[in-house]
Amino acid sequence: MATNTVSQVVPSAEDAAALLKAFQGWGTDEQAVIAILAHRDAAQRKQIMLKYEQMYSESLMQRLQSELSGDFERAMYHWMLDPVERQAVMANAATKCIQEEFPVIIEIACANSSAELIAVKKAYHVLYKSSLEEDVAARTTGNLRIACLLQLLLALVSTYRYDGDDVNMGLANSEAKIVHEAVSNGTTDQEELIRIVGTRSKAQLNATFICFKDEHSTSITKALPHGADPTGYLRALRTSVRCLADANKYFAKVLRNAMRDSGTDEDSLTRVVVMHAEKDMKGIRSAFQRRSTVSLEEAIAKETSGDYRSFLMALLGS
Amino acid sequence: MPQQVLAQASSHSSPPATPQPPPPRLRQATRKQQEKDTQHREREPPPPPPPMAAVDENEDLIRAFAGMGGLGVDEAALVSAMGRWRMQPERRAQFRRSFHGFFSVSGGAAAGIERCEDEYLRHLEVEFARLKDAAVLWAMHPWERDARWAHHALHHHGGAPAGVALVEVACTRAADDLLGARRAYQALHHRSLEEDVAYLLKDPNAALLVGLVTAYRYEGERVSEELAAEEAKALAAAVVKASPAAKLVQNEQVVRILATRSKPQLRATFKIYKDLHGKPLEDDFVGEPCLQEAVRCLYSPPKYFAEVIGRAFMDDADRQAKAALTRVVVSRADVDMEEIKDAYAKQHGAKLVDAVASNTHGHYKDALLAMIGK
Repeated sequence: MATNTVSQVVPSAEDAAALLKAFQGWGTDEQAVIAILAHRDAAQRKQIMLKYEQMYSESLMQRLQSELSGDFERAMYHWMLDPVERQAVMANAATKCIQEEFPVIIEIACANSSAELIAVKKAYHVLYKSSLEEDVAARTTGNLRIACLLQLLLALVSTYRYDGDDVNMGLANSEAKIVHEAVSNGTTDQEELIRIVGTRSKAQLNATFICFKDEHSTSITKALPHGADPTGYLRALRTSVRCLADANKYFAKVLRNAMRDSGTDEDSLTRVVVMHAEKDMKGIRSAFQRRSTVSLEEAIAKETSGDYRSFLMALLGS
Repeated sequence: MPQQVLAQASSHSSPPATPQPPPPRLRQATRKQQEKDTQHREREPPPPPPPMAAVDENEDLIRAFAGMGGLGVDEAALVSAMGRWRMQPERRAQFRRSFHGFFSVSGGAAAGIERCEDEYLRHLEVEFARLKDAAVLWAMHPWERDARWAHHALHHHGGAPAGVALVEVACTRAADDLLGARRAYQALHHRSLEEDVAYLLKDPNAALLVGLVTAYRYEGERVSEELAAEEAKALAAAVVKASPAAKLVQNEQVVRILATRSKPQLRATFKIYKDLHGKPLEDDFVGEPCLQEAVRCLYSPPKYFAEVIGRAFMDDADRQAKAALTRVVVSRADVDMEEIKDAYAKQHGAKLVDAVASNTHGHYKDALLAMIGK
């Protein structure tokens, strides 16, 4: 469920005029910008952009990018994009430094439904004149070490999972065995595991994970070897299993990790809040609160400041 | 009349002058049998040979029934014979006796009856069903059609023929049509196509097939010549490295390139490869039928389909090769039939409509010609 509140009444021409007023003069009235844009849904934001361009002959996005700065600007830029395009843009950025940013790709591939993923891939075609699979797979060239990682990523990104609830328990049992074998193998002979994680429906996978836990009394993610992970394959596997099993729990964990210790990982924080504010943030917030002493808003308020903080708070609905 | 039948039967049961033919190809069989038939009749004492007109009728009907090695049956001739020989069981008996390949005289308890050879019963079933199959497939939605073909290939063939069928569907359909077929597969079988391919095909081709089947290629025309040159080099390097132990179809580079790049991009890559090495890429993929198929389908579907059709008309075409004719015509009639006709003319020097008209029979022929168009 979305967390940001959306006003139904204000016509886009008024919003555009108000935005222009906020930009004029020295500096920008960031609070005014947030007050408008954080409370509009995707269709309204699109209308505002069109109206603004019509009325003032300049692109709203470009104006925002020049008036704002830092984490706030990055957050606002991604917020203004159409939700499907947003994911395509983030995926593309991630393919450029895939060994560090692959969790983004895994999130997009695993947390979306099959139909949503197809929409993201279509948007990707239009924006970048190539397919997401191409760009993910092309990183193999000359880099055989990360072949396993890329195989997993490619499988996750290409698949069109069955969306239904049909589960075959016999199959779940046999595949739990295969998974156990692959997990004890470290990073060799992972094809079967990649096949299972990369093709089975989410319902079937959950059944498999449950069988694994019943059989070996630990979850898969705990059973994976910890420690040396030079190629990132194990981390990717852990991420995908968590994301497929329970997306809300996974994103809550990402938020927790982003705000832990000294320093905050603003990129991850922005990414999770902006991508999910109008989708399923409520679920993520409950998952966060289940395992934490403070509420999500309090945690963010503590770790961020200024206009960036105000924007995130507005998106979270406070 | 009964004496005629018995006389014939007893002469047949004497030491066989004509040895039992091995399961023959229908076209040659009937000709050979007709020769032996006339020899046999010369050796025999009378009963009087059937009048000349009846012999011609028999031959016509034999032709109609058997399709003379072609495809489909001549329904019109059959129906007309049914009318002409009404109330004349002895005419039909004569026909059965002169159609040696199909009917054989049995001894023992069923003496005097010319029974059908099982093999030819099955042949008849297939030939009569050809039109029905074509009609049912034609009426289906293309996505459901592809989904059913894929499922049938996976569950009834397995191994190499399954691979070939999957490659054809995966590489010759547009990106959205392949996606639609995958959706239809989920609706029909409550599993995704890639699950089944990955799970049921345990051979080395599995990685390539899963990749091809899950591809959602960019459909635009933009091509990067640099990238094409780079990937042509990568493919050449992979070809050099290949060995019976490390097959090309398992090479990650090859699979990646074929399964993710857009079709225009791939065509540019193939062209550069050909310029660099003087021969087309599929020649270097000898011994890897799935890879060769994939390259052919990706490079030029009309050319590939024209080849498939050509194989269906050859003398030694087996049941699958012949079934391919229906499959290709029905699935491509709305897509690129004109290009296929051009490619066929180039490959075989004859027009496709002429080849179909001379090799097929009856309503099946009419159906095909209607779908192929002028």
